[in-house]
Amino acid sequence: MAIITISRTCGSLGDELASYISSKLGCELITRQYALDNFFGELSEGTVARLNESAKFFVGNIPGKEMTFRDKLVNEIRMKAASSDNLVILGLGGCVILKGYPKAVHVRVTAAESTRIAATGSLYGIATDEAREVVAIGDRKHKKFVTTVFGADLTSPDLYDITVNTDRMSVEEAGTSVVELARRHDLRSKMSDSTKKNRSSDHQRREIVFKNPNEEEFARILDMYNIEWMYEPKTFPVEWDAEGNVTSALSPDFFLPKFNLYLELTTMDQKYVTRKNKKVRLVRELYPGTNVRIVYKKDFTDLASRLEQFGSAGDYDHD
Amino acid sequence: MTRLLDGALEIEHVVFDEETIRKRVKELADQICEDYYGESVIMIGVIRGALYFLTDLTRAMDMPVEIDLIGFKSAPKNSKDTGGVNITKDIATDIEGRHVIVVEDVIRTGLTTAFIMSYLEERKPASIALCSMLVNPDRMLMTLPVKYTGFEINDNWLAGYGMDVHEIGRNIPYIVKLARKE
Repeated sequence: MAIITISRTCGSLGDELASYISSKLGCELITRQYALDNFFGELSEGTVARLNESAKFFVGNIPGKEMTFRDKLVNEIRMKAASSDNLVILGLGGCVILKGYPKAVHVRVTAAESTRIAATGSLYGIATDEAREVVAIGDRKHKKFVTTVFGADLTSPDLYDITVNTDRMSVEEAGTSVVELARRHDLRSKMSDSTKKNRSSDHQRREIVFKNPNEEEFARILDMYNIEWMYEPKTFPVEWDAEGNVTSALSPDFFLPKFNLYLELTTMDQKYVTRKNKKVRLVRELYPGTNVRIVYKKDFTDLASRLEQFGSAGDYDHD
Repeated sequence: MTRLLDGALEIEHVVFDEETIRKRVKELADQICEDYYGESVIMIGVIRGALYFLTDLTRAMDMPVEIDLIGFKSAPKNSKDTGGVNITKDIATDIEGRHVIVVEDVIRTGLTTAFIMSYLEERKPASIALCSMLVNPDRMLMTLPVKYTGFEINDNWLAGYGMDVHEIGRNIPYIVKLARKE
């Protein structure tokens, strides 16, 4: 579904969030320990220990190779990201390594200092002053690692798609939100991919403004059935003039990702329906694999009428 | 006939008689048994329309099979907000890792069936297939895995064999076309 990088301030529940998300998605969690064991496992214990202790060590060459530890880390993480559908990367400068990577969602997790100190004190069973020190050292080390190894500022908001404040949010609440964001981002990312492969165009960055009340009502019907939809996500040109300018196109009203299905709503007179039918036929011919169906006036009327009836006593049988 | 419909509806003609239904149900049952031979299968009927079909279908199957039921309706929040579709009768069986066949009386647009399939898929069955007595392919909006179809229908207004009009006509033992809408 998506590659999720998580950067966190110390004590902000970032580690717990990463574990929760990887468990929810059933995917690998790349942590510092994972990297040391799997990316640098063939090195001597001493070398691994130095990597664990000092960020500076990462910019040095791997013994006997013309490659730095940083390059090795970057290569390994990028290979993992390229070969995985789902992956969670905690720390390690993942947001820098995968900056601009289309499938990746970069998350920054933070909380008020008092919250983080309290959480750290509770986690380690230490006094507030000690917890404050642990939090300060942790933050300093995280920041230094990314600055030293990648020359980037970990606290820069430019590195993240979303920042989560766990002051008033549980791990489950934050995790569910991040997973949903990643899922939707993945859908849009896939749609952009398909756009690049043909001559259609992608509108998914637009705000939703329904063109007429019927479309809005149909969206409510889909919501009622808990069916995820996107509104007019793409335009499919179907006819061009001699110079290659688009003269006719179809922008199906809805896309249902789960069913890989575009729906074009028509409540118009039959003469317009005929023209629409032709466009749909052309889309099927010009964009093989694109599944488009027309919701005719009768279907819409029946569904809308059922929407009005909903709430009356009894269970529903017919759809 | 008149007594079954309480005089509220008028039958134009019988579309599928009892013998035709019985034969087709047996064919579907045999096909399911062949496809799922040696597997543990649970048949989930969508109440209330699929009750008769589920009953006849499972009785015609020559293999062990578990049955369960699922039902749904809406829960409007207020007059402007229609709310969503809710499960009113949940299944009582753990279907994780099991082969599931959802049994419907009729699939038209497929919206409610899609809702039920999505709901059941969250329980992580090994597989989930659809068996519907009637399917209207021309009106189906969703792409659903209908593996077993009794008969294809058009836009006729039907009742019987589980299908009703305001709760009338379900217990007609065959499927009829109604002459008029109310």
